[in-house]
Amino acid sequence: MNIPGSFLGGAQDRLLPASIPFRFFLSASVFHVLAWAVLFLAADDLAGYRGGTGLVLAAIHLATLGVLVMTAIGASYQLLPVVTRRPMARNWPTRLSFWLLLPGICAMTWGMATNALGAMSLGSYLVTLGLFVFAVLTADNLRRTGGIPEVSAHVWLALVALAVFVLIGLLLIRDLETGFLADHQGLALVHMIVASFGFMGLLVLGLSLVLIPMFVLSRSLPARPGWAQAGLSVLALTGFSTGVIFDVPPLQWLALAPGFAAAACYLWLMRMALKTSMRKRLGLPFVLMRASWGLLVLTLVMGALTLTNIGIPNGPALTGFLLVAGWLLTFLTGVLQRIMPFLASMHVADESGLPPLLSDLSAEGPLKIHAVCHLAALAACSFGILLDLTLLVQVGAALGCVGAVAFAGSAGYVATKLKRQASSN
Amino acid sequence: MTDNVPGTHWQDADGLHIDTRGLQPPDPFVAVIWHIEQPGQQGPVTVYLDRNPIYLFPELAERGWSYEYALNTADEVHLILRCET
Repeated sequence: MNIPGSFLGGAQDRLLPASIPFRFFLSASVFHVLAWAVLFLAADDLAGYRGGTGLVLAAIHLATLGVLVMTAIGASYQLLPVVTRRPMARNWPTRLSFWLLLPGICAMTWGMATNALGAMSLGSYLVTLGLFVFAVLTADNLRRTGGIPEVSAHVWLALVALAVFVLIGLLLIRDLETGFLADHQGLALVHMIVASFGFMGLLVLGLSLVLIPMFVLSRSLPARPGWAQAGLSVLALTGFSTGVIFDVPPLQWLALAPGFAAAACYLWLMRMALKTSMRKRLGLPFVLMRASWGLLVLTLVMGALTLTNIGIPNGPALTGFLLVAGWLLTFLTGVLQRIMPFLASMHVADESGLPPLLSDLSAEGPLKIHAVCHLAALAACSFGILLDLTLLVQVGAALGCVGAVAFAGSAGYVATKLKRQASSN
Repeated sequence: MTDNVPGTHWQDADGLHIDTRGLQPPDPFVAVIWHIEQPGQQGPVTVYLDRNPIYLFPELAERGWSYEYALNTADEVHLILRCET
């Protein structure tokens, strides 16, 4: 005898209230607009940027902490309990982490933009506490389950990278006050590499093993290349960081090999998923995700060329821009526009008791504007950096800003629909 | 090419049965979508899973399929799917 169907039939026990992931996503959408807007103001300094406080540093952290980290945390809180079949121990720490991170990122980036060390320090402590709560909750969830071993391994390694980049970040801010570090710039480079390739990169590589096959409807991916990409990434990160800290250029060079090999494993796996895809139309999110994979390769090539000192103009700034705005931001906005309607639909049911159609929860128009503006912004800013043309960087940042506003509009549309459907049930 | 489809399946008097127990995500999801997208498939389709496939439900709704729980425990879920269009 059948039990009458109830929406999600108890799985909602493992779903956090929609307000938790969506507060992270909506904040990320606002930080996204701010990041491009601040980059517009910092356009004159971008091409020659080699570190230090100011508007460029603020724009970088609005994009990394504000957009990338907020998105990753919101998605992890929502997805991990479902994948691992273990609910979060409690909901209030997830809210606490948000209320530590939000003011923390605001204070920290304000301090960076205005060179106010007090605000920067206060913000960094709040961000550290917020990330600590996230790390503890994630580690606790992973510890209590088997899950998919190679995916769990990526998340564990990402948490290690998180601890390392936060510690270095705190040291860098302390150094601005006291000047005790011998090589501030070198450590700042390690901080950036471990945060972007380590924390965010390992999360992207690991969660892609499940998310991409699910999006494209392909078989689960083989475990061995998944393990290989994790091991090679760690080798590359450790080698490069050691090479920078102890000023051993050959080690930095050697570290590029496992870095390229890890990217090759990842792209091979993604190609395999697409090749065996049962979905005919992958849509706009995959235009962005495919572009992000190309930008990952371009970032590594540009990084290698910059190391050779063969005279690529403004190589460090261009590599950093391609890494953060190119690979990571493009990938995450692609994923976010795919999963936001999905997550929203899991929280509400229509009159028939079924989830609403995904197409009813997506705002196609604004997402198209975002995709076009984002890709155009990447091209304009990259050439602006390369040619040291402030006007071109400004045009790119303005386009990025328009795209980010459209993206925020689509996120707001999903949240409004969610709220309306939830209140009518 | 059912060889490429994860899990096992068989036809019974009450319709198609798909067993996805023991598969890692996203294979159960892929198996169900592959079978319900076969020409002429209207259900009922009985699916055996070892977790509640909450990512599947929006995709079912998108394709005009409804579902009901035949069994819903912490370690096993049976769903009956029907095409509503």
